[in-house]
Amino acid sequence: MDAIRRSLLGQLARLSAGAALIPFSSLAQAGINQQPARREGDPTKRYGMLIDLRQCIGCQACTVSCHIENAAPLGQFRTTVSQYEVQHQESGELATFMLPRLCNHCENPPCVPVCPVEATYQQQDGIVVVDSDRCVGCAYCVNACPYDARFINERTQTADKCTFCAHRLEAGLLPACVESCVGGARIIGDMRNPDSQISRMIQEHRDALMVLQPEKNTLPQVFYLGMDERFTTRPVAEPVALEVFDPHGQEMGYEFHH
Amino acid sequence: MNSTIELLAPRYDIAWYPWAVQYFFMIAVSYASLWLAAPALIFGKKAWLPTARLALIACVSTTLVAPVALLADLHQPLRFWHFYAYANTHSWMSIGSVVLPLYLVSVLGLAWLAWRPALQAQRNAPGLSGWVAKWLSLGDSATPRALVAIVGVAALLLSSGIMLYTGAELAIVKARPLWNTVWLPPMLVATGFIAAAGLVLVLNQVSGLCSHATVRQMLYVLLAFCAVAGLIAASWFLDGINANIGSVAAALESVRHSPSWRSTALWGGITGITLFIAVAWLLSRFTQRQPALFAWAWLLGLVAIHMGWMFRWVVLMDVQHVARNSAGFHHYGIPAGSSGLLGIVGTFGLWLAAILLIELFIPWRQAQQGGVKPPPSFDTNTPSDSLNAEQGAPNHG
Repeated sequence: MDAIRRSLLGQLARLSAGAALIPFSSLAQAGINQQPARREGDPTKRYGMLIDLRQCIGCQACTVSCHIENAAPLGQFRTTVSQYEVQHQESGELATFMLPRLCNHCENPPCVPVCPVEATYQQQDGIVVVDSDRCVGCAYCVNACPYDARFINERTQTADKCTFCAHRLEAGLLPACVESCVGGARIIGDMRNPDSQISRMIQEHRDALMVLQPEKNTLPQVFYLGMDERFTTRPVAEPVALEVFDPHGQEMGYEFHH
Repeated sequence: MNSTIELLAPRYDIAWYPWAVQYFFMIAVSYASLWLAAPALIFGKKAWLPTARLALIACVSTTLVAPVALLADLHQPLRFWHFYAYANTHSWMSIGSVVLPLYLVSVLGLAWLAWRPALQAQRNAPGLSGWVAKWLSLGDSATPRALVAIVGVAALLLSSGIMLYTGAELAIVKARPLWNTVWLPPMLVATGFIAAAGLVLVLNQVSGLCSHATVRQMLYVLLAFCAVAGLIAASWFLDGINANIGSVAAALESVRHSPSWRSTALWGGITGITLFIAVAWLLSRFTQRQPALFAWAWLLGLVAIHMGWMFRWVVLMDVQHVARNSAGFHHYGIPAGSSGLLGIVGTFGLWLAAILLIELFIPWRQAQQGGVKPPPSFDTNTPSDSLNAEQGAPNHG
């Protein structure tokens, strides 16, 4: 559509009756949907993660170790690695692209202000956690997260998500996914400490780092190195993973079919 | 340019079940029918009396059922008291948890005031209904008209709170571009009024009341809100083609890539336009062959109910199928159990039970709506006439 026609349609839209609603919506966004105060956690730290995609081989060791460490129900994941097959249309050359996904522990987490009972909150060290004793399971946060990082745990019937393995960090251990990563692609650390590995790597690769869906203004704190910009938003891709059921209707696994 | 195939992604379940559709539908019918009852009930417009009688039973029954559906959509329904123990003023849902019970109480209070004179008149009826009337009417004192007006206006204000919070709750969710638009809340209200007017038309037929005044009024309401809905849809579309990121872009993408979204869009558009044209045609025929034609208006009522419900189904369920990080659309078959079909059927069953209980025990057909005509022995000190004149501002109709 050419520019003139587009601006004409824009004028038309502005003229239409409901344009008066727009100030109300910004009021609603600003006044009510704001971040509540952070609580608990170490205020001297700010945890973040840097994922060096050049080192990721898509082995799913992180997926499995997280699943075991955090006892997630079958088929539900706190972290997983999306895998894509990319074909160059002219040369026909094939490449595989791996994209580990987890909670981004955003600086402006959209999942936190929506919680009606403040069961999900951000610690002062930036980690977003859920108090599963308080959670009512309304699933508003699941819908509010643009990264599909949350789910309703089938067993507890409450919201569940990656916590950067806060229980392990507290004990001086690395998160399960970081510990098990064969390529050492996942780097976690305190970004307030200028000498930490993550701070040094952020400093070194500042211009090359990317985050997922930056346009949502969530300010994610999981940074990707070696990222292709086309994968920062929902990829234009063809889905091919099909579920396979046995004769009793039980899911057997996935089949890759094209 | 490359072509990409997604090899591996988890299947993400929907987070809100059909219970949410039932809640949004019931509560919308509730607030809209309250406004349809308001002209006669609160502002004393006599011409709207039959409509108010029907709208009030629609309002009370849906107001009773809606919170049940909402509670059922929680994965931990027994923890509902956390809403009040740990309220979060930053959350629209939390605000809703305060507004909703107040609204429920105001509607029940209003209905009680509106039905009380008729209940008092039925106190000596034989059998169970007389006993219920005696018990429900709480004494034989007069029902002051001023009280009806005050409770009514409070209920209307609280209903506006419901309209606002149910719409805002969805519209602020940036993660779902199709929800994240200022046009969604007014569209929910408009389709709510369409569904409520439809329900009043159907109740008008089913109850045997068959009031022509009601049919005409509801057809006008349908015509007006179909036009409003059309205007909102057009504004949303025009507004959106300007911006590259936005709900319109997301909608166009969905329609482009999914045959089921294409048919949904087509179905919605055709239903809306057909309803508008049919209502306009019926109204234009009003002067000529009204009795025969108006007897069929309830069929349009069914279409209107379908439109209000389908809009909510598409907005709440279908939008959750649009993948946010992975390619394509998540498949969702409606499960048979309580998070699916049983929930849908159960909510409607509960609504039917509520309306039947009202039909059994409440003399709603005789209700003069708010003590306009108090029972004979107590008609001396009701300041109804002067108040009627004051409250009779033509805000509606």
